[in-house]
Amino acid sequence: MAWTKPKAREV
Amino acid sequence: MTPDDVPYLPRGVRTQFDAVRKVDVILGPERVLVLDQVGKAVVGRLDGEASLAEISADLAQVYDAPVDVIAPDVTAFVEDLRDRGMVHVRPR
Repeated sequence: MAWTKPKAREV
Repeated sequence: MTPDDVPYLPRGVRTQFDAVRKVDVILGPERVLVLDQVGKAVVGRLDGEASLAEISADLAQVYDAPVDVIAPDVTAFVEDLRDRGMVHVRPR
């Protein structure tokens, strides 16, 4: 698994 | 936020796997956020015991990445969740 910036998208 | 701060999910906020869309979400009052895979890994570690520094160090091991890359990303992400009311923070 590669590290990427964590994201939280609002719905 | 400082590395010693301890983030946690307050009462009324929880994570859930949405079976319809097959995504992980974090549910709060009148708000739903879809988490990506790394976001889920971070939120899953907000147990109210681990500090930001400890969470970053753990993720650095899991993802085999430098902690000085991961820590700023984790801090920014948790601060964003805090600003959206989904995470509370207490000093250690």
